[in-house]
Amino acid sequence: MAQVGAWVGAVITAPLRGFARLLDVPLRVWQRLAGQNGMAAFFLLPNMAIFGIFVLFPLGLNIAYSLTSGGALFLADRNFAGLGQYQRLLTCADYTNLLSCQEDQFWTALGNTALFVVVQVTALIVLATATALILNRELRARSFWRAVFFFPVLLSPVVVGLIWRWILDRNGVLNAGLVAVGLDPVNWLLDRNFAFAAAVGVTIWAHLGFFALILLAGLQAIPRDLYEAAEMDGTRPARVFWRITLPLLMPNMLVVIVLALIRAVQVFDEAFVLTGGGPGTATLFLTQYIYEVGFASLLKNPGLAAAASILMGGVLVVLTLLQLALGRRNERKAKLK
Amino acid sequence: MSAVGTFLTRRRGGDRWDWTDIVTFLWLGAGVFIMFGPALWLVLSSFKSPAQLSEFPPTLLPYEARTAVVEGYDKPLPLFVVTDDSGTRTLAEVRRVGTIAQMVDPENPATMERINIANRTPDRAVGFSWGNYLDPFLRFDFLKYTQNSIFVTGVATLITLLTNSMAAFALSKYDFRGRNTVVVLIIATLMIPLSVILVPLYSIVSGVGLINSLWGVILPTVATPTGVFLLRQYMLTIPDELLEAARMDHASEWQIYWRIVLPLTAPALAVLAIFSVVWRWNDFLWPLIVLSRQEVYTLQVGLNAYAGELNVQWHYLLAMTVITMIPVVLVFVFLQRFITAGIAGTGLK
Amino acid sequence: MGRIVLKDIRKTYGAVDVLKGIDLEVAEGELVVFVGPSGCGKSTLLRMIAGLDRPTTGTIEIDGVDVTARGAADRGLAMVFQSYALYPHMTVRANMAFGLQNTKMAKAEIDARIAEAARMLEIEPLLDRRPGQLSGGQRQRVAIGRAIVRRPTAFLLDEPLSNLDAELRVSMRAELSALHDRLGATMIHVTHDQVEAMTMADRIVVLRAGKVEQVDTPLGLYNRPANLFVAGFIGAPGMNLWAGRAGASGFTLDGGQVLPVAAQGATTLGLRPQHLRLDPAGPLVAQVTLVEALGAESVIHADLAGGQKLLAVLPGQPDLARGASVRFGFDPGHAHLFGADGLRAAA
Repeated sequence: MAQVGAWVGAVITAPLRGFARLLDVPLRVWQRLAGQNGMAAFFLLPNMAIFGIFVLFPLGLNIAYSLTSGGALFLADRNFAGLGQYQRLLTCADYTNLLSCQEDQFWTALGNTALFVVVQVTALIVLATATALILNRELRARSFWRAVFFFPVLLSPVVVGLIWRWILDRNGVLNAGLVAVGLDPVNWLLDRNFAFAAAVGVTIWAHLGFFALILLAGLQAIPRDLYEAAEMDGTRPARVFWRITLPLLMPNMLVVIVLALIRAVQVFDEAFVLTGGGPGTATLFLTQYIYEVGFASLLKNPGLAAAASILMGGVLVVLTLLQLALGRRNERKAKLK
Repeated sequence: MSAVGTFLTRRRGGDRWDWTDIVTFLWLGAGVFIMFGPALWLVLSSFKSPAQLSEFPPTLLPYEARTAVVEGYDKPLPLFVVTDDSGTRTLAEVRRVGTIAQMVDPENPATMERINIANRTPDRAVGFSWGNYLDPFLRFDFLKYTQNSIFVTGVATLITLLTNSMAAFALSKYDFRGRNTVVVLIIATLMIPLSVILVPLYSIVSGVGLINSLWGVILPTVATPTGVFLLRQYMLTIPDELLEAARMDHASEWQIYWRIVLPLTAPALAVLAIFSVVWRWNDFLWPLIVLSRQEVYTLQVGLNAYAGELNVQWHYLLAMTVITMIPVVLVFVFLQRFITAGIAGTGLK
Repeated sequence: MGRIVLKDIRKTYGAVDVLKGIDLEVAEGELVVFVGPSGCGKSTLLRMIAGLDRPTTGTIEIDGVDVTARGAADRGLAMVFQSYALYPHMTVRANMAFGLQNTKMAKAEIDARIAEAARMLEIEPLLDRRPGQLSGGQRQRVAIGRAIVRRPTAFLLDEPLSNLDAELRVSMRAELSALHDRLGATMIHVTHDQVEAMTMADRIVVLRAGKVEQVDTPLGLYNRPANLFVAGFIGAPGMNLWAGRAGASGFTLDGGQVLPVAAQGATTLGLRPQHLRLDPAGPLVAQVTLVEALGAESVIHADLAGGQKLLAVLPGQPDLARGASVRFGFDPGHAHLFGADGLRAAA
């Protein structure tokens, strides 16, 4: 196995090695001319150029787009609109009735996303913690069980969406199960509530293993002798969980929660393939709204999409800063130990 | 199964069964069923014929109707098991009129029998509709989609490994002004998702003429901050004395990168390569936006387009979903260790 | 070939002066050891000679050529690093060949040089192994071999023995000395271990806090330490250094004892523990606090009147108990005298 790997590696890298040897001569000249700092610039250049053009530059450009109106793609062809797009997104005649909003779809998407974030993250964290706790017990073949829960994490969102669309189909296997135990079949994806629940459930199914894995790593970092000491003291399992496991797991837990929030705010692929946002707008989430407004609808409005994405980005930036702050705090704590 | 066996005999502290043992047992059992079940169901379903897919309730395994060649008839005739007053026997159907089918005994084709269809069930055996897999490649564009996906995944991963490792090398082994700014910039953008910059990114990709080009899918994804971050953390652990020794050995900086640092970073490169392959293979939203012409679709986009048609041909769709899943399942089976170690170590995905 | 001259080398990192003006000449074929406590700047100095760091001011000459601005690769030197810095992913042979290949040397010549070095260092059976499969001593040899094949004008060794266990260190010390004799090349060896310095060096450079304290042969340092620091640093156990003042009748310790030593202007008297002997008529009266019997010799810890500590190394196993009051004597010729400025007094 390892030999085959090495052999494959050698075959793949053979042309690369030739390429690297050719590069050496001009680069030695460049090194003479530019010194070590010049070489640092050379090594940074390809990545930072791509990064700049395709990440940083659009990040700034996004703000410019959000201040313009019209259907034209290139910024030069667009009309300056000031804060008009934001106004359009956020104006409602009556804030108790979302249908009175100018962009009621945006508000629907916002509401759906908010509900999704609360329900999905809560359920996900509870289930992931339970799974991690169980995987952290003295199990035979623990890596097998871990793999079981991890398996869906690698599947593509499209595959996940299609698998579940097939299972939740009106003539699907889930309804067959219901009928078999004497219940009526349900039109899962055509009922507003069930469709929403399905979106929540399927995304949990797809990501549970990832979060359980991080929490498991946190659990395994808790010294065994703490548990042994608790056992010597005759502490009950529930008390061990609340007084030992949970407090020591908290740093990891916070990071996991923020990470789950960041992901949930951006929910799109699985839900889009599963329900297409429907029935009606029952599972229309923010990212899909941006996609529809900016690219898919007949009347494209890139400015509006940019404004909406900046609002979403704002939330994500706050969450990201929180994430970094937590990460840094954990690092410091780890160092203190 | 032995895992379950040993599991059954494991108890918390001593001889008693604890409630936690039961919960653990139920949880893991349900886990296997819920996590593997759907994918297994997909695979089983993908081998069923269209007629079978529309059956309710569905059968577990794919079946094919058995047929028999009967003297005097050009085509093979479908077989049925008939149970009525004259006992149970297997007959072939010639034609069906309303609720009555005209059937013959394949052994004795001369006598035609008239059978009420309520008294018969199709005679079938486990069989696989391989056509579900072959047709999309032969008759539709799935071969092209697959090639596109392989190209995008392969090229994007190679570029990612090269540019990310070069940047990580510069950021871990050189001391220059502005280095910390770059590092902070990269960490700050770790979490910025593509969905926040869709509009301007589209205009840029469009401006450089890469709409409906696979390069338009590849380029925005390769400068991953995650990769730079992961590789830099790893390179920081390579002792600087090695680089100094190489410098005294007349190695150029490029050689130091290529001959010393890169080989020593192999474990981290492997993790990044695995992740990159999975990411790029699974990418959906960005290709969906950039690729609007069929011939440049990746598998994910092609599948989605196929699933969005008015009359979904589930037998093809399921088979192609399985095909799309295969590389990732292979990665899972053979490289799962690296991935779980990578995630547990860095919290990256 | 291999004459190295340092002129007024200074190095500052921000506000910190690491090297405060170093002048030094290393003669061709000499084995010079830089020794000093950690943080004294000895490794920094070596790295500057190597070209891995640049001095803030000052010049470095090799064989009369100013190489201050040259890169590490172009000075014709070879370095053995503290961690050996063997490339972990290359075989021993590839490790030794790497630097030669970079200079586009012919393959036959490379092979010949590796074979010769491997024979000299007795690492021939290891050539196809990787560093991870070698013991510490073997890695050490490979690191030296990698330096030898370069045929450098001088070898720079940065604490090369510090990662070896005590026993191996002693034998490698002897081997390195033998290697130096054989190659006849200039070597600069950095260590914090004064025994290592004493046993290997032609000349020792004692550094402290970025300054050269003394440069001399090992015995020169031992017999005539130029200042208090060198006196305390060289020799084990460390020299007794007693404060007091000089008078007409001799040197009066702070505790009141008068020692028969002519000591004009001295404020500290130094005496190696080995130079003390039991003498019922001796001028030093001390109370024994601890006896470390090592068999062949005994180390006596004692307190002088007035609280100053006395350390004596006596031959054999003298019958002394804790708390006993003992008189020590010494040959006045062995006394070292230092002035208030810490420098060796004129006498």
